[in-house]
Amino acid sequence: MNALDVSFMATGAMLAAAVLLAVYRLVRGPSVLDRVIGLSTVSVLLVCFIALEVAVRGDTSYVGVMVSIALLGFIATLTAARFAERRAHDRG
Amino acid sequence: MLNDAAVRMLGRLPMVLWLTAMWAVLWGDASPGTLLAGFGVGAGCYAAAKLPHLPVRLRFRPLRAALLAGRILLDLLTSSVQMAYYALHRPGRVRGAIVAVPLRTDSDLLMAMVSGGLSLVTGSQTIELDREGGVIYVHGVPIRGEGDVPRLRRDVRRMEELFVRAFGSAADIADFEATEREMDAARAAGRGER
Amino acid sequence: MTAADWATAILLPLGALFALTGTIGMVRFPTLLGRMHASTKPDTVALLLILAGAAFRLPDVPTALPLALVAVFQFMTMPVLAQTLGRVSYSRGMVVAEHLVTDELEEVLEKRRAETGEAGRGPVDGQG
Repeated sequence: MNALDVSFMATGAMLAAAVLLAVYRLVRGPSVLDRVIGLSTVSVLLVCFIALEVAVRGDTSYVGVMVSIALLGFIATLTAARFAERRAHDRG
Repeated sequence: MLNDAAVRMLGRLPMVLWLTAMWAVLWGDASPGTLLAGFGVGAGCYAAAKLPHLPVRLRFRPLRAALLAGRILLDLLTSSVQMAYYALHRPGRVRGAIVAVPLRTDSDLLMAMVSGGLSLVTGSQTIELDREGGVIYVHGVPIRGEGDVPRLRRDVRRMEELFVRAFGSAADIADFEATEREMDAARAAGRGER
Repeated sequence: MTAADWATAILLPLGALFALTGTIGMVRFPTLLGRMHASTKPDTVALLLILAGAAFRLPDVPTALPLALVAVFQFMTMPVLAQTLGRVSYSRGMVVAEHLVTDELEEVLEKRRAETGEAGRGPVDGQG
Protein backbone atom coordinates (compact mmCIF):
# COMPACT_ATOMS: atom_id res chain seq x y z
CA MET A 1 0.00 0.00 0.00
CA ASN A 2 1.55 3.29 -1.04
CA ALA A 3 0.75 6.90 -0.25
CA LEU A 4 -1.72 7.10 -3.12
CA ASP A 5 -3.90 4.31 -1.72
CA VAL A 6 -3.76 5.89 1.71
CA SER A 7 -4.86 9.22 0.24
CA PHE A 8 -7.78 7.56 -1.57
CA MET A 9 -8.94 5.97 1.66
CA ALA A 10 -8.53 9.15 3.69
CA THR A 11 -10.45 11.12 1.07
CA GLY A 12 -13.25 8.56 1.00
CA ALA A 13 -13.50 8.50 4.78
CA MET A 14 -13.59 12.29 5.10
CA LEU A 15 -16.19 12.63 2.35
CA ALA A 16 -18.31 9.95 3.99
CA ALA A 17 -18.16 11.78 7.31
CA ALA A 18 -19.09 15.00 5.51
CA VAL A 19 -22.10 13.32 3.90
CA LEU A 20 -23.26 12.08 7.30
CA LEU A 21 -23.06 15.59 8.74
CA ALA A 22 -24.88 17.05 5.73
CA VAL A 23 -27.61 14.42 6.09
CA TYR A 24 -27.90 15.35 9.76
CA ARG A 25 -28.65 18.94 8.65
CA LEU A 26 -31.01 17.65 6.00
CA VAL A 27 -33.00 15.58 8.50
CA ARG A 28 -32.93 17.89 11.51
CA GLY A 29 -33.63 21.17 9.73
CA PRO A 30 -34.73 23.13 11.72
CA SER A 31 -35.97 25.30 8.84
CA VAL A 32 -36.80 24.45 5.25
CA LEU A 33 -33.78 26.44 4.11
CA ASP A 34 -31.46 24.38 6.31
CA ARG A 35 -32.76 21.32 4.55
CA VAL A 36 -32.22 23.00 1.20
CA ILE A 37 -28.60 23.76 2.14
CA GLY A 38 -28.18 20.17 3.29
CA LEU A 39 -29.55 18.92 -0.01
CA SER A 40 -27.23 21.06 -2.09
CA THR A 41 -24.25 20.00 0.03
CA VAL A 42 -25.11 16.32 -0.40
CA SER A 43 -25.32 16.73 -4.16
CA VAL A 44 -21.92 18.49 -4.30
CA LEU A 45 -20.41 15.78 -2.10
CA LEU A 46 -21.85 13.15 -4.43
CA VAL A 47 -20.03 14.80 -7.32
CA CYS A 48 -16.87 14.81 -5.17
CA PHE A 49 -17.28 11.07 -4.64
CA ILE A 50 -17.52 10.44 -8.36
CA ALA A 51 -14.44 12.61 -8.89
CA LEU A 52 -12.67 10.38 -6.37
CA GLU A 53 -13.83 7.38 -8.35
CA VAL A 54 -12.37 8.96 -11.50
CA ALA A 55 -9.08 9.41 -9.63
CA VAL A 56 -9.04 5.81 -8.38
CA ARG A 57 -9.79 4.26 -11.75
CA GLY A 58 -8.00 6.82 -13.88
CA ASP A 59 -10.73 6.96 -16.51
CA THR A 60 -13.45 9.48 -17.20
CA SER A 61 -16.41 7.35 -18.23
CA TYR A 62 -18.35 8.66 -15.23
CA VAL A 63 -18.08 12.32 -16.14
CA GLY A 64 -21.53 12.33 -17.74
CA VAL A 65 -23.00 11.12 -14.46
CA MET A 66 -21.05 13.81 -12.64
CA VAL A 67 -22.40 16.61 -14.84
CA SER A 68 -25.93 15.24 -14.58
CA ILE A 69 -25.86 15.06 -10.79
CA ALA A 70 -24.34 18.53 -10.52
CA LEU A 71 -27.01 20.10 -12.74
CA LEU A 72 -29.85 18.07 -11.23
CA GLY A 73 -28.73 19.07 -7.73
CA PHE A 74 -28.62 22.71 -8.80
CA ILE A 75 -32.11 22.64 -10.27
CA ALA A 76 -33.51 20.75 -7.27
CA THR A 77 -32.00 23.20 -4.79
CA LEU A 78 -33.13 26.21 -6.76
CA THR A 79 -36.66 24.87 -7.05
CA ALA A 80 -36.85 24.11 -3.34
CA ALA A 81 -35.56 27.58 -2.46
CA ARG A 82 -38.04 29.26 -4.80
CA PHE A 83 -40.84 27.17 -3.35
CA ALA A 84 -39.88 28.21 0.17
CA GLU A 85 -39.88 31.84 -0.95
CA ARG A 86 -43.32 31.61 -2.49
CA ARG A 87 -44.76 30.03 0.63
CA ALA A 88 -43.29 32.85 2.71
CA HIS A 89 -44.97 35.43 0.49
CA ASP A 90 -48.33 33.68 0.64
CA ARG A 91 -48.20 33.73 4.40
CA GLY A 92 -46.94 37.29 4.82
CA MET B 1 -28.26 45.04 -44.99
CA LEU B 2 -29.14 42.32 -42.55
CA ASN B 3 -32.76 41.93 -41.66
CA ASP B 4 -34.04 41.53 -38.09
CA ALA B 5 -34.21 37.76 -38.14
CA ALA B 6 -30.60 37.47 -39.25
CA VAL B 7 -29.46 39.86 -36.52
CA ARG B 8 -31.34 37.81 -33.94
CA MET B 9 -29.73 34.62 -35.24
CA LEU B 10 -26.28 36.19 -35.00
CA GLY B 11 -26.97 37.29 -31.42
CA ARG B 12 -27.77 33.70 -30.51
CA LEU B 13 -24.72 32.26 -32.21
CA PRO B 14 -22.29 32.58 -29.25
CA MET B 15 -24.64 30.68 -26.97
CA VAL B 16 -25.15 27.92 -29.51
CA LEU B 17 -21.38 27.70 -30.07
CA TRP B 18 -20.84 27.37 -26.33
CA LEU B 19 -23.43 24.58 -26.19
CA THR B 20 -21.70 22.88 -29.11
CA ALA B 21 -18.36 23.11 -27.31
CA MET B 22 -19.88 21.54 -24.21
CA TRP B 23 -21.36 18.77 -26.33
CA ALA B 24 -17.97 18.05 -27.89
CA VAL B 25 -16.25 18.00 -24.48
CA LEU B 26 -18.83 15.62 -23.06
CA TRP B 27 -18.50 13.28 -26.01
CA GLY B 28 -14.76 13.52 -25.70
CA ASP B 29 -14.02 14.09 -29.36
CA ALA B 30 -14.21 16.95 -31.81
CA SER B 31 -14.90 15.17 -35.09
CA PRO B 32 -17.05 17.04 -37.66
CA GLY B 33 -19.98 14.70 -37.10
CA THR B 34 -20.02 15.33 -33.35
CA LEU B 35 -19.74 19.08 -33.87
CA LEU B 36 -22.56 19.10 -36.40
CA ALA B 37 -24.83 17.04 -34.14
CA GLY B 38 -23.94 19.27 -31.18
CA PHE B 39 -24.72 22.39 -33.18
CA GLY B 40 -28.08 20.91 -34.18
CA VAL B 41 -29.02 19.87 -30.65
CA GLY B 42 -27.79 23.19 -29.21
CA ALA B 43 -29.75 25.26 -31.70
CA GLY B 44 -32.83 23.09 -31.18
CA CYS B 45 -32.70 23.35 -27.38
CA TYR B 46 -32.07 27.07 -27.54
CA ALA B 47 -35.04 27.58 -29.84
CA ALA B 48 -37.26 25.37 -27.66
CA ALA B 49 -36.26 27.15 -24.44
CA LYS B 50 -37.41 30.55 -25.82
CA LEU B 51 -34.97 32.43 -23.62
CA PRO B 52 -35.36 36.19 -23.50
CA HIS B 53 -32.87 37.89 -25.74
CA LEU B 54 -30.62 40.21 -23.77
CA PRO B 55 -28.47 42.68 -25.61
CA VAL B 56 -24.93 41.86 -24.54
CA ARG B 57 -22.62 44.83 -24.67
CA LEU B 58 -19.52 43.63 -23.00
CA ARG B 59 -15.87 43.61 -23.78
CA PHE B 60 -13.47 40.98 -22.65
CA ARG B 61 -9.97 41.93 -21.51
CA PRO B 62 -8.01 38.72 -20.99
CA LEU B 63 -5.38 40.21 -18.69
CA ARG B 64 -7.91 41.93 -16.43
CA ALA B 65 -10.11 38.85 -16.43
CA ALA B 66 -7.14 36.71 -15.38
CA LEU B 67 -6.48 39.18 -12.58
CA LEU B 68 -10.11 38.91 -11.51
CA ALA B 69 -10.08 35.11 -11.65
CA GLY B 70 -6.88 35.00 -9.62
CA ARG B 71 -8.34 37.39 -7.07
CA ILE B 72 -11.53 35.30 -6.74
CA LEU B 73 -9.59 32.04 -6.40
CA LEU B 74 -7.31 33.57 -3.75
CA ASP B 75 -10.27 35.01 -1.84
CA LEU B 76 -12.13 31.72 -2.09
CA LEU B 77 -9.16 29.78 -0.74
CA THR B 78 -8.13 32.11 2.09
CA SER B 79 -11.64 32.68 3.34
CA SER B 80 -12.44 28.96 3.13
CA VAL B 81 -9.48 28.33 5.42
CA GLN B 82 -10.80 31.08 7.69
CA MET B 83 -14.29 29.55 7.76
CA ALA B 84 -12.78 26.12 8.45
CA TYR B 85 -10.99 27.62 11.44
CA TYR B 86 -14.20 29.20 12.77
CA ALA B 87 -16.15 25.99 12.17
CA LEU B 88 -13.82 24.20 14.57
CA HIS B 89 -13.16 27.02 16.99
CA ARG B 90 -16.13 28.66 18.73
CA PRO B 91 -18.58 29.09 15.82
CA GLY B 92 -21.12 30.55 18.22
CA ARG B 93 -19.19 33.77 18.46
CA VAL B 94 -19.02 34.47 14.74
CA ARG B 95 -21.06 37.50 13.79
CA GLY B 96 -21.93 38.97 10.42
CA ALA B 97 -23.07 42.26 8.98
CA ILE B 98 -25.27 43.41 6.14
CA VAL B 99 -23.93 46.50 4.43
CA ALA B 100 -25.45 48.64 1.72
CA VAL B 101 -22.97 49.56 -0.97
CA PRO B 102 -23.95 51.93 -3.78
CA LEU B 103 -22.68 50.55 -7.06
CA ARG B 104 -20.88 52.81 -9.48
CA THR B 105 -21.82 50.91 -12.61
CA ASP B 106 -25.26 51.10 -14.16
CA SER B 107 -25.09 48.12 -16.50
CA ASP B 108 -27.55 45.30 -15.72
CA LEU B 109 -25.16 42.61 -16.80
CA LEU B 110 -22.22 43.98 -14.84
CA MET B 111 -24.37 44.32 -11.72
CA ALA B 112 -25.44 40.70 -12.05
CA MET B 113 -21.82 39.65 -12.49
CA VAL B 114 -20.64 41.63 -9.45
CA SER B 115 -23.41 40.14 -7.37
CA GLY B 116 -22.50 36.64 -8.56
CA GLY B 117 -18.82 37.21 -7.94
CA LEU B 118 -19.51 38.38 -4.40
CA SER B 119 -21.65 35.34 -3.72
CA LEU B 120 -18.80 33.18 -5.01
CA VAL B 121 -16.29 34.44 -2.50
CA THR B 122 -16.63 32.77 0.86
CA GLY B 123 -16.80 35.76 3.16
CA SER B 124 -19.62 37.54 1.41
CA GLN B 125 -23.00 36.91 -0.07
CA THR B 126 -25.44 39.12 -1.92
CA ILE B 127 -28.74 39.45 -0.08
CA GLU B 128 -30.53 41.90 -2.27
CA LEU B 129 -29.91 44.01 -5.32
CA ASP B 130 -31.80 47.28 -5.56
CA ARG B 131 -31.76 47.86 -9.31
CA GLU B 132 -33.49 51.25 -9.21
CA GLY B 133 -31.18 52.78 -6.64
CA GLY B 134 -28.13 50.87 -7.82
CA VAL B 135 -27.45 49.63 -4.30
CA ILE B 136 -26.22 46.16 -3.43
CA TYR B 137 -26.85 44.62 0.00
CA VAL B 138 -24.13 42.23 1.01
CA HIS B 139 -23.91 39.93 3.99
CA GLY B 140 -20.35 39.42 5.20
CA VAL B 141 -18.87 36.88 7.61
CA PRO B 142 -16.92 36.94 9.88
CA ILE B 143 -17.20 40.44 11.28
CA ARG B 144 -15.30 40.81 14.53
CA GLY B 145 -16.42 44.33 15.30
CA GLU B 146 -17.33 47.72 13.89
CA GLY B 147 -13.86 47.97 12.37
CA ASP B 148 -14.52 45.12 9.94
CA VAL B 149 -17.56 46.80 8.40
CA PRO B 150 -15.58 49.34 6.31
CA ARG B 151 -13.29 46.49 5.24
CA LEU B 152 -16.26 44.53 3.92
CA ARG B 153 -17.52 47.62 2.10
CA ARG B 154 -14.07 48.14 0.57
CA ASP B 155 -13.97 44.49 -0.56
CA VAL B 156 -17.31 44.91 -2.32
CA ARG B 157 -16.16 48.06 -4.08
CA ARG B 158 -12.90 46.43 -5.16
CA MET B 159 -14.74 43.43 -6.57
CA GLU B 160 -17.00 45.79 -8.53
CA GLU B 161 -14.03 47.66 -9.96
CA LEU B 162 -12.34 44.41 -11.02
CA PHE B 163 -15.47 43.23 -12.81
CA VAL B 164 -16.07 46.55 -14.58
CA ARG B 165 -12.47 46.76 -15.76
CA ALA B 166 -12.46 43.15 -16.94
CA PHE B 167 -15.79 43.03 -18.77
CA GLY B 168 -17.20 46.54 -19.11
CA SER B 169 -17.35 48.32 -22.44
CA ALA B 170 -15.54 51.64 -22.83
CA ALA B 171 -18.81 53.44 -22.07
CA ASP B 172 -19.30 51.37 -18.91
CA ILE B 173 -15.84 52.25 -17.66
CA ALA B 174 -16.31 55.95 -18.41
CA ASP B 175 -19.65 55.83 -16.59
CA PHE B 176 -18.05 54.01 -13.68
CA GLU B 177 -15.27 56.56 -13.33
CA ALA B 178 -17.65 59.50 -13.59
CA THR B 179 -19.86 58.10 -10.83
CA GLU B 180 -16.81 57.40 -8.70
CA ARG B 181 -15.63 61.00 -9.06
CA GLU B 182 -19.12 62.18 -8.15
CA MET B 183 -19.15 60.00 -5.03
CA ASP B 184 -15.69 61.15 -4.02
CA ALA B 185 -16.72 64.78 -4.45
CA ALA B 186 -19.85 64.18 -2.38
CA ARG B 187 -17.79 62.56 0.36
CA ALA B 188 -15.23 65.38 0.28
CA ALA B 189 -18.05 67.88 0.68
CA GLY B 190 -19.06 65.96 3.80
CA ARG B 191 -22.51 64.90 2.69
CA GLY B 192 -23.98 61.67 1.37
CA GLU B 193 -21.75 59.39 3.40
CA ARG B 194 -23.00 56.38 1.49
CA MET C 1 5.20 7.01 -7.36
CA THR C 2 5.53 9.80 -9.89
CA ALA C 3 5.20 13.54 -9.25
CA ALA C 4 1.65 13.44 -10.64
CA ASP C 5 0.75 10.71 -8.16
CA TRP C 6 2.08 12.82 -5.33
CA ALA C 7 0.00 15.78 -6.52
CA THR C 8 -3.08 13.54 -6.44
CA ALA C 9 -2.16 12.18 -3.02
CA ILE C 10 -1.99 15.72 -1.65
CA LEU C 11 -4.89 17.39 -3.49
CA LEU C 12 -7.55 14.75 -2.82
CA PRO C 13 -7.34 14.66 1.01
CA LEU C 14 -6.94 18.43 1.09
CA GLY C 15 -10.18 18.82 -0.86
CA ALA C 16 -11.95 16.30 1.36
CA LEU C 17 -10.71 18.20 4.41
CA PHE C 18 -12.38 21.36 3.09
CA ALA C 19 -15.60 19.44 2.49
CA LEU C 20 -15.46 18.01 6.00
CA THR C 21 -14.77 21.30 7.78
CA GLY C 22 -17.42 22.97 5.64
CA THR C 23 -20.06 20.50 6.75
CA ILE C 24 -18.84 20.68 10.35
CA GLY C 25 -19.43 24.42 10.09
CA MET C 26 -22.83 23.72 8.60
CA VAL C 27 -23.75 21.70 11.67
CA ARG C 28 -22.18 24.01 14.25
CA PHE C 29 -22.88 27.57 13.12
CA PRO C 30 -25.77 29.12 15.06
CA THR C 31 -27.32 31.17 12.26
CA LEU C 32 -28.76 30.22 8.91
CA LEU C 33 -26.56 32.64 6.98
CA GLY C 34 -23.50 31.40 8.82
CA ARG C 35 -24.36 27.83 7.90
CA MET C 36 -24.86 28.92 4.32
CA HIS C 37 -21.42 30.52 4.20
CA ALA C 38 -19.87 27.50 5.86
CA SER C 39 -21.32 24.93 3.51
CA THR C 40 -21.77 26.22 -0.03
CA LYS C 41 -18.39 27.81 -0.60
CA PRO C 42 -15.86 25.48 1.02
CA ASP C 43 -17.71 22.78 -0.95
CA THR C 44 -16.73 24.56 -4.15
CA VAL C 45 -13.09 24.65 -3.05
CA ALA C 46 -13.29 20.98 -2.10
CA LEU C 47 -14.74 19.98 -5.46
CA LEU C 48 -12.13 22.06 -7.27
CA LEU C 49 -9.24 20.43 -5.38
CA ILE C 50 -10.61 16.91 -5.82
CA LEU C 51 -11.19 17.50 -9.54
CA ALA C 52 -7.62 18.80 -9.84
CA GLY C 53 -6.38 15.73 -8.00
CA ALA C 54 -8.35 13.46 -10.32
CA ALA C 55 -7.02 15.32 -13.37
CA PHE C 56 -3.45 14.42 -12.39
CA ARG C 57 -4.36 10.73 -12.68
CA LEU C 58 -5.45 11.05 -16.31
CA PRO C 59 -3.04 10.49 -19.19
CA ASP C 60 -3.45 13.75 -21.14
CA VAL C 61 -5.22 17.10 -21.23
CA PRO C 62 -8.09 16.23 -23.65
CA THR C 63 -9.19 13.39 -21.35
CA ALA C 64 -9.16 15.75 -18.37
CA LEU C 65 -11.22 18.43 -20.17
CA PRO C 66 -14.63 17.07 -19.03
CA LEU C 67 -13.49 17.54 -15.42
CA ALA C 68 -12.92 21.22 -16.17
CA LEU C 69 -16.49 21.34 -17.45
CA VAL C 70 -17.75 20.11 -14.07
CA ALA C 71 -15.74 22.85 -12.35
CA VAL C 72 -17.16 25.48 -14.72
CA PHE C 73 -20.71 24.31 -13.94
CA GLN C 74 -20.03 24.52 -10.23
CA PHE C 75 -18.71 28.06 -10.64
CA MET C 76 -21.76 29.07 -12.64
CA THR C 77 -24.40 27.50 -10.42
CA MET C 78 -22.99 28.16 -6.95
CA PRO C 79 -23.42 31.98 -6.92
CA VAL C 80 -26.97 31.63 -8.20
CA LEU C 81 -27.81 29.25 -5.36
CA ALA C 82 -26.06 31.32 -2.71
CA GLN C 83 -27.84 34.45 -3.88
CA THR C 84 -31.26 32.82 -4.01
CA LEU C 85 -30.82 31.29 -0.57
CA GLY C 86 -29.60 34.59 0.85
CA ARG C 87 -32.56 36.50 -0.51
CA VAL C 88 -35.10 33.90 0.58
CA SER C 89 -33.68 33.62 4.09
CA TYR C 90 -33.81 37.38 4.51
CA SER C 91 -37.29 37.76 3.08
CA ARG C 92 -38.53 34.96 5.35
CA GLY C 93 -37.20 36.87 8.31
CA MET C 94 -34.79 34.12 9.26
CA VAL C 95 -31.77 36.36 9.71
CA VAL C 96 -31.09 36.71 13.42
CA ALA C 97 -30.44 40.33 14.28
CA GLU C 98 -28.23 39.60 17.33
CA HIS C 99 -25.61 38.05 15.12
CA LEU C 100 -25.35 41.07 12.88
CA VAL C 101 -23.05 43.94 13.71
CA THR C 102 -25.00 46.20 11.36
CA ASP C 103 -27.97 45.61 9.10
CA GLU C 104 -28.23 48.41 6.59
CA LEU C 105 -30.92 46.64 4.56
CA GLU C 106 -33.22 46.61 7.59
CA GLU C 107 -32.54 50.33 8.08
CA VAL C 108 -33.60 51.06 4.51
CA LEU C 109 -36.67 48.84 4.75
CA GLU C 110 -37.65 50.54 7.98
CA LYS C 111 -37.41 53.94 6.35
CA ARG C 112 -39.44 52.74 3.39
CA ARG C 113 -42.07 51.23 5.67
CA ALA C 114 -42.33 54.51 7.55
CA GLU C 115 -42.89 56.31 4.24
CA THR C 116 -45.47 53.95 2.78
CA GLY C 117 -47.03 52.72 6.03
CA GLU C 118 -46.58 49.17 4.87
CA ALA C 119 -45.96 46.40 7.39
CA GLY C 120 -43.81 43.32 7.19
CA ARG C 121 -40.33 42.58 6.06
CA GLY C 122 -40.05 41.90 2.38
CA PRO C 123 -37.59 42.06 -0.46
CA VAL C 124 -36.61 45.52 -1.66
CA ASP C 125 -36.93 44.65 -5.28
CA GLY C 126 -38.55 41.83 -7.21
CA GLN C 127 -35.37 40.83 -9.05
CA GLY C 128 -36.97 37.78 -10.65
